[in-house]
Amino acid sequence: MRINPVLQKELKIRMRGWRAAGMIGVYLIFMALTASFAMIMSMEGYYRSTIDPELAIGSYTGLAVMQFVLISFISPALTTGAISGEREKQTLDLLLCTRMTPLSIVIGKLFASISQIVLLIIASLPIFSIVFMFGGISVIELLELFGFFIIIAITFGSIGIFYSSYFKRTTAANVLAYGTIAFLCFGTIFLTVLYLGITHDYDFKGVFPLLYANPIVGFASILWEQFRGGNMNFFPGLIIGNTTAAGYISPWIINLLFNIALSIVLMILSANKINPLKKGHRGRFFLSRRGKK
Amino acid sequence: MLKIKGLVKKYGRFTAVNDLNLNVPKGEIYGFVGPNGAGKTTTMKIICGLMAADRGEIYVNDIDVIKNVRKAKEVIGYMPDFFGVYDNLKVTEYLDFYASIYKINAKDRKKICDDLLELVDLQDKRDAYVDSLSRGMKQRLCLARSLVHNPELLVLDEPASGMDPRARVEMKEILRTLKDLGKTIIISSHILPELSELCTSIGIIDRGKIVISGTVDEIMQQVYSKRFIKIKLRGKIAEGIKVLQEKPFATSIREGEDFIEAGFEGNEEEMAMLLKELVMRDIPVISFGQMDGNLEDVFMKVTKGDEA
Repeated sequence: MRINPVLQKELKIRMRGWRAAGMIGVYLIFMALTASFAMIMSMEGYYRSTIDPELAIGSYTGLAVMQFVLISFISPALTTGAISGEREKQTLDLLLCTRMTPLSIVIGKLFASISQIVLLIIASLPIFSIVFMFGGISVIELLELFGFFIIIAITFGSIGIFYSSYFKRTTAANVLAYGTIAFLCFGTIFLTVLYLGITHDYDFKGVFPLLYANPIVGFASILWEQFRGGNMNFFPGLIIGNTTAAGYISPWIINLLFNIALSIVLMILSANKINPLKKGHRGRFFLSRRGKK
Repeated sequence: MLKIKGLVKKYGRFTAVNDLNLNVPKGEIYGFVGPNGAGKTTTMKIICGLMAADRGEIYVNDIDVIKNVRKAKEVIGYMPDFFGVYDNLKVTEYLDFYASIYKINAKDRKKICDDLLELVDLQDKRDAYVDSLSRGMKQRLCLARSLVHNPELLVLDEPASGMDPRARVEMKEILRTLKDLGKTIIISSHILPELSELCTSIGIIDRGKIVISGTVDEIMQQVYSKRFIKIKLRGKIAEGIKVLQEKPFATSIREGEDFIEAGFEGNEEEMAMLLKELVMRDIPVISFGQMDGNLEDVFMKVTKGDEA
């Protein structure tokens, strides 16, 4: 099997120097502190001498939330400079004049960033494994959660790459990528509450369609199901866990499918944007390098 | 090797390349000369598949660049007027990366990198980080990068810009070596005397059109209908001018401090007769000869005095 050359080169560059090791170190410190804090909080007022799976749930939830937050922040940060950085370094044209397609360049860039996230996730495994001491969470469930995180990282990374290919400056791409992620996480909730408030539909059963796009809803749903919870009524429009209802599909599965579809669309749009031969590209070079023809 | 027919590229109302036609045979070094904004870089980018043409056809080694750009890219090496380099990447890794894009296996890649580093004289920098190289070295490395897939056509946009005289001479030597290796090279530059020395043919582009194309001598003949002679004398300038004024083939006579310049519309026999007569009349001739063509003068003339 042949590895995408851009991915190979990016991995080499990214893993060289102290930055990658520093990032893993800081990440693990955050995770370890979270685990300790969650354990202390779970054991507060706990006087039994036996080991209880309930203790694991607190630590597991704390670690999962921290991992979700960190991935949400790190993924766009690793990708928003992917294409704009190539432009700034004047290496994009050098890549585009080779036989590589714009899509393979974009995919190479995305997966180089995702590889770093995967590395962080794998590095956090020993910390996560403390939950196995108490039981209650199986290895399969842990892998399920990690799989979800990887898809979230790909989605947020794709958003970063998308803005990176559309905007020349990394700063602009950063702002818009985080803005879009904030919209997906909080904007969708706001719009749902607003809509249901306007329509006075306070008895909406199940999950409001817009919320299937919300990664927090997907994340909450996967955790809730792993804890084998029943119905959870967060607010009208977000009732999860009704697994017995006919036609019920876990929100996290729909969210996962939405994320995969969104990532594919964003990758194609990004590749199309950097393709110098697409029709809409006419004049870009002139506008950017006026007077140098 | 390279054929361009009726190439047109517009940016809104501005026509950057206007019905450009070009034919560069295999093994030539073709100099692409023109003022800023004439359409050189645009044409080069279209040849390399980095920009879409509005109209026209481009064939590289009989491959239609417009219809089959991916295949064409395998026979084209492009070196832009800037050097894109990555931080944290060594010289050999840089070349290896670009070679891997062309699906060259690891063993061959190593040999190719070694050969190319030898060609551009960067063997001793093989383990240096790319961003630590000097400008001239980076430019040579970029040239090596454009050669990793052994292209038949090299498109070099201002390869010697910003280089010191020594680096320019070295670059010229490398290009001559590449010509000897059978590469066809199309090169744009503002350093016209160097182009006239290096290139087998030259095309002057202005406002998106090739205004004149051919070997330097052919261009001189096309631009100037007559030759110019320069006679250096040790005194008796006035008498020399008198002799020239008697000849119908001598025109535009100009007097210098110790020389005479004149347009010459006669043949070589008449030129020899003129020299003989000057000597017979006891005019002390130090040197007598035809003036060499100056590409800069030609450039200024055909581009209506625009900036080079």
